[in-house]
Amino acid sequence: MWFLKKKNIKELNPSPPSPSQAVAPQKKDALKTSLQQNIQTLKDTLGESSDIIIREIRIGKEGTIKAGIIYTDGLTDTPSLQNFILETLMLDIKGIELQKKTSPEQNLISILKDVALTVGEIKEITNLDVLFTSLLSGDTIILIDGYAQGLIISNKHWVERGVTEPAAQTVVRGPREGFTENLRVNTALIRRKLKDPNLWMESKIIGTRTKTNIAIVYINGIANDKIVKEVRLRLDRINIDGILESGNIEELIQDSPYSPFSTVYNTERPDVVAAALIEGRIAILVDGTPFVLLVPALFVQFFQSAEDYYVRTVIGSLIRLLRFFASGISLLAPALFIAITTFHQSMLPPALIISLAAQREGVPFPAFIEAVIMEVTFEILREAGVRMPRSIGSAMSIVGAFVIGTAAVEAGIISAMMVIVVSITAISSFVSPSYDIAIAVRMLRFAFMALAASFGLFGITVGLIALILHLCSLRSFGVPYMSPIAPFNVSDQKDTFIVLPIWKMFTRPRLINQQNRVRQQDSASAKPAPTKK
Amino acid sequence: MKQCMFGLLILSLFLTGCWDRRELNELAITLAIGIDKVEDEYQVTTQVVVPSEVSMKGSTGSTTVALFTASGETVYEAIRRMTKDSPRKIYPGHLRMLVIGEELAQEGIGKSLELLSRDWELRPDFYVVVAKDIPAKEILNVTTAIESIPANKMFNSLKMSEKAWAGTHSITLHELIADLTSDGKEAVLTGIQLIGNKEIGSSKQNVETISPAARIKYDNLAVFKEDKLVSWLTEKESRGYSDITNSVKTTVTPISCPKEGKATIEVIQSNSDVKGNINNGKPEVDINIKVEGNVGEVECKINLTKLGTIDELEKIYEKEVIEIINETLDTLQKQYKTDIFGFGEAIHRSNPKEWNKMKENWDEEFSNLTVNVKVDMKLHRTGTINNSLLEKIKD
Repeated sequence: MWFLKKKNIKELNPSPPSPSQAVAPQKKDALKTSLQQNIQTLKDTLGESSDIIIREIRIGKEGTIKAGIIYTDGLTDTPSLQNFILETLMLDIKGIELQKKTSPEQNLISILKDVALTVGEIKEITNLDVLFTSLLSGDTIILIDGYAQGLIISNKHWVERGVTEPAAQTVVRGPREGFTENLRVNTALIRRKLKDPNLWMESKIIGTRTKTNIAIVYINGIANDKIVKEVRLRLDRINIDGILESGNIEELIQDSPYSPFSTVYNTERPDVVAAALIEGRIAILVDGTPFVLLVPALFVQFFQSAEDYYVRTVIGSLIRLLRFFASGISLLAPALFIAITTFHQSMLPPALIISLAAQREGVPFPAFIEAVIMEVTFEILREAGVRMPRSIGSAMSIVGAFVIGTAAVEAGIISAMMVIVVSITAISSFVSPSYDIAIAVRMLRFAFMALAASFGLFGITVGLIALILHLCSLRSFGVPYMSPIAPFNVSDQKDTFIVLPIWKMFTRPRLINQQNRVRQQDSASAKPAPTKK
Repeated sequence: MKQCMFGLLILSLFLTGCWDRRELNELAITLAIGIDKVEDEYQVTTQVVVPSEVSMKGSTGSTTVALFTASGETVYEAIRRMTKDSPRKIYPGHLRMLVIGEELAQEGIGKSLELLSRDWELRPDFYVVVAKDIPAKEILNVTTAIESIPANKMFNSLKMSEKAWAGTHSITLHELIADLTSDGKEAVLTGIQLIGNKEIGSSKQNVETISPAARIKYDNLAVFKEDKLVSWLTEKESRGYSDITNSVKTTVTPISCPKEGKATIEVIQSNSDVKGNINNGKPEVDINIKVEGNVGEVECKINLTKLGTIDELEKIYEKEVIEIINETLDTLQKQYKTDIFGFGEAIHRSNPKEWNKMKENWDEEFSNLTVNVKVDMKLHRTGTINNSLLEKIKD
């Protein structure tokens, strides 16, 4: 379609005169030897932003050497800056004859780095570009007059939210911790669960302006190398100015952007990520959001909750079956109701049809319109409930329940049965543990209602066939979305519709992982049984 | 462009717009149809549910059903003509009862059933009954107690009665059509009667008293020859019919005690096996009935703790049931000469060649048919007491 074409995209970005371009050539340059010049460049580029602190000091015996300390206020740990950097430079090394010791091989920068500064992570730089990225991430920069090098000291520190219980994916039994907005905390949460040297974390910086840190996390030797490569490739392909949430990354790397079904899984739970990594999946962590992406994502994965594996196997299996059933209700209940009451009345038992007909007496709308009114009302209420301040939420639920539940029926606009159907549908849609699948189902429900109203059960059947065809055509990073149902795999049925006991899960999912498939070696010892004497 | 065209094509499907759609409140849900013959025309009566009266909430106190009547040269014409009177189109998908007027039954029911078996909206699993002595319309015009919809009352009565009483027999449309089209079996239908004052019967007033002024009640079986009603059986003959045709579910049978008084046997299972064969060129039928039952009631002085008494009761039961069956056979063989038992079919199954020879003349053959009846009774339990309390009452 014409408005989607990108042929004129270059015209949107007029090249001259651009302020960034004036600075750009300078930026690429290496550091100068003159401190004054370097500081001037910094000031020019940063536009004298108020949060950038440039502190000029003198070090050495007579205070002959000029040095500059540059950091971003609010992102840098000020006590450590004062205790370990300023104190070292200005007091501890005051008596030492710095100038004398300086030889070509052993310059001042190296001495500071190797001997003087009592901090953990420290790096030498010569490039202005790297300097800016580090500075704006919260590192402290030390520049010394007469050297075309600088030092980066990593002492980032800022105020952030602690590790709390995830809001979206709650469990009754299971760990209560959730990811935070800090990438490092998140990698630490995963590392704490998997103390495996093969747990590899590759870093990337994406976004020309946001410079967002991204980590690709996988277990080397378990994750499929081809998929890891593919993830890397897709991430490298991204050329965008800003990444603010993992949702942006998801959109940029997913397989089928227009499908209602998500082919990338997201979670806030470290235990889910750890389990996925052990299965051979790849996690993509994005700085600034607690939502971690998991690929490849399969259809059944959206029905699996972390809790399934923590409770007893029979209960876990039943609950998972219930989830599939509830999603079916959520997708089809209003459509089936419309189809049966307006086309296939003979399918209803006589007592029921009379009862339903009695409820419909005096209802002015056809069943389809009635259902659409109720469903749309419900969607509005749901959306309002999500967006509105918590404090008035209860007021809304009272109004909502009263308006839909009672008043509409009393007024004779809506039949009581329709309220029941819509309520069951609404409740069922909240059963699925993943928000992505719930929202896809909710959207498709309207399509099925339209099909049912036009063609009856025939329409629903055709719609279902189309839906299944679509699902089977999807792929997530090369893995068929519907596996292990289509293509069918017997051994993976252990964790599809039911959950077998953990001592029966010998292998990892087949299509996700193709090397190192065995999880437990000895099947006999795995089965819990009393020890024989 | 291609995508656009495809989208448009898909969307154009919806232009058909809800074709064939009918809302529930556009249907006249018909639970019972009555067909009569009035002056060369069919008079069709439909009993249509008034849904708002059935539900607890919206009821205004008027009757739960409404009757619509129309006449026509054919049944279909009459039903369509009904829309002149009825605000909604007749929807017979949930039909439970078809009542045929006696007059029409005597003239022949075949033609009037054609529509009902052809129309796709109807399920042929509804019961067919014959109104005895009055037009079908009158039967549908009675309010009933307990079941507020009269059609449901008729349906449930017949269903329950058939399960618990061997004298009644339910026949659905497809069974009836099978009987009518078979060479070796004639049809029977249950009769239905109106007892009491039919003027009061049609008003709600009828059910406001403990004992309704008018009530509808099932009667005995009507015998058909081809598709015409010939006669009515007595209750005993109806019972015999059920025994022979293996349609007894449970029932009770009073028998005489060895000396004096009566006892009642509760039949809990009854299986009859009809076998036809040709013996010396003559057709013969063996009926083998296996019955299981309990002693239900003892109104005489017998010692039930003795095994011999039970054997004795079994013998008496066998003898008395054979009598009932023979009486039934006698009436139908000698009086009506109508094979309602399907003996012809039994012979057809065992010897098709001979059957083809005697098929044309079956009524005559039937009346001279030798039927050997064998009943085998097994009594199991005697209830919660052993000997009757009568033993202890001193007279």
